[in-house]
Amino acid sequence: MYVKRKSERFKVFSFALPALLIYIIFLVIPIVGAVYFSLVEWNGIKGSPLEFVGLQNYFDVIADPDFRISLMNLLSLVFFSVLFHTPIALLLAVSLNTKFKGYRFFKVIYFVPTIFPLTAIGLLWYFIFMPNGSLNSFLDLIGLSEFATGWLINPSTAMGTVIFVNIWAGIGYYMVILLAGLTTIPDELYEAAKIDGATPVKQFLHITIPMLKPIITLCILMDIIGTVKVFDLIFVMTEGGPNGLTNLPTTLMYYEAFRYNNFGFGSAIGVIILLIALVLTIGSESIMNRKRKSE
Amino acid sequence: MNKKVLLIFTIVMALVFIGPMLFTIISSLKENREIFSSPFSLPEVFKFENYVFAWKEANMGRYILNSIIISSSTVIVAALVGSMASFVIARFNFKINKYLLLFFLLGMMIPMHSVLVPVAYVIGVLGLKNNLVALVLIYVAFLLPFTIIVLTRFMKSVSPSLEEAAIMDGASYFQVYYKIMLPMTVPAISTVSIFNFLASWNDILFPLMFINDDRLKPVALGLLNFSGERASEYGPLMAAITIVILIPLIVYLLFQEKVESGLAAGSVKG
Repeated sequence: MYVKRKSERFKVFSFALPALLIYIIFLVIPIVGAVYFSLVEWNGIKGSPLEFVGLQNYFDVIADPDFRISLMNLLSLVFFSVLFHTPIALLLAVSLNTKFKGYRFFKVIYFVPTIFPLTAIGLLWYFIFMPNGSLNSFLDLIGLSEFATGWLINPSTAMGTVIFVNIWAGIGYYMVILLAGLTTIPDELYEAAKIDGATPVKQFLHITIPMLKPIITLCILMDIIGTVKVFDLIFVMTEGGPNGLTNLPTTLMYYEAFRYNNFGFGSAIGVIILLIALVLTIGSESIMNRKRKSE
Repeated sequence: MNKKVLLIFTIVMALVFIGPMLFTIISSLKENREIFSSPFSLPEVFKFENYVFAWKEANMGRYILNSIIISSSTVIVAALVGSMASFVIARFNFKINKYLLLFFLLGMMIPMHSVLVPVAYVIGVLGLKNNLVALVLIYVAFLLPFTIIVLTRFMKSVSPSLEEAAIMDGASYFQVYYKIMLPMTVPAISTVSIFNFLASWNDILFPLMFINDDRLKPVALGLLNFSGERASEYGPLMAAITIVILIPLIVYLLFQEKVESGLAAGSVKG
């Protein structure tokens, strides 16, 4: 619509002002603040002075072995999430898409963890993985007690256990997206392939996967970006332990800033997380755009 | 795919999903001692007191009420201010609109974790500790980019003829928004609102920062409180976890398709 009178135009534009105000005050200014805090030293006590230290916090973060561990953990979490989330989700989606008897029940089972609060999921698994928890009782029961261990406190199993729970909690989300994609593939393609004598495996490899390629790409990219923001599971299950071995940048930032009052240090990690998220988001947008253009 | 192999895979995976949930639900009806002495059997006597304890003594009822208040307010404010801004962006030819949409779009890339320290500082300076209004406004700010993008796209897809006719008949712009645009946008708003509701319901980051009054905590954080304070009361704890996961389960069973499309909408950007 076209608004001619100037006074009218301002009136119309004022509709956007509440959103703009909330957005600027509670998101834009805090981002500027995050950058500012990463350049100062502050002990977290109200009213105590902020001392400008330039990039010192960043140098400290990069030299910090705990930060390196958290980055490596992030990398392995991303790697294993991508490796398992989308492929398992795809297989389940293809299976559910055959609409076998009772498939709705299975769909609910796979999907609901994605809408549970992660604190509940973390606690639920915590009680299974704790030293006297049910997993170890189960191993006892089937005569594999030599494998029983404190899954979340043993340095060699803790991160793997967290990765497992993160995979468990995310599969349903990608399954639903892929399932929606599957319904867009025309049935004629499969029928034609059947007439040509293509086996179900061949149909999967030569029809399903190529047709779903854009959605599979989307799932993988979302998975990578989403993994950068994982926090709750670690916070609930290990608190970054044993010895900081399961920290991610997000949890390390939290503990440094709010447990040890290293606010500058924590802020610098926060800004690094922001940069990682920006690079990944912009990178994935350009990949998706290139895909859209080439198709 | 080979149907049999696929079906076996589907069932095995289902066990991995049901197992832990079922174990938690069964344990929630057991005596503390029984959870450890016979973890995989059904309860000798169903101990429903665990639920009463979780609901009353451990405040789960209170936490759930808090979450309902926080998430509903977030949803309503985001839908209201978001649809107003989208109306301006989608329907008027201001030069600034393109930049306005881009400005909001950028916010979608920001992880909440990056702003924790400045938010904590501002909360401290302004004395906003335990202020639920501040919590809601932060959620709204972080959910606005997604809300505005989805709503703007939806509004653009609707023909403006009805609104133009109304303007001709002398309706004010506010009336056009309130009486025509808003009702027409309801499907998109409900999709966005489900996403917004879940996002604010499940968050613990910001409440962790500045809601330390136990009477104000949301359920995702309150549950942690309980486990921290009474770590040895396993039965009631399992009952609390069950309560926390049953709510989304019921909501999902009631609005299955809406919940799925709401979540899937989170994946479609730009």
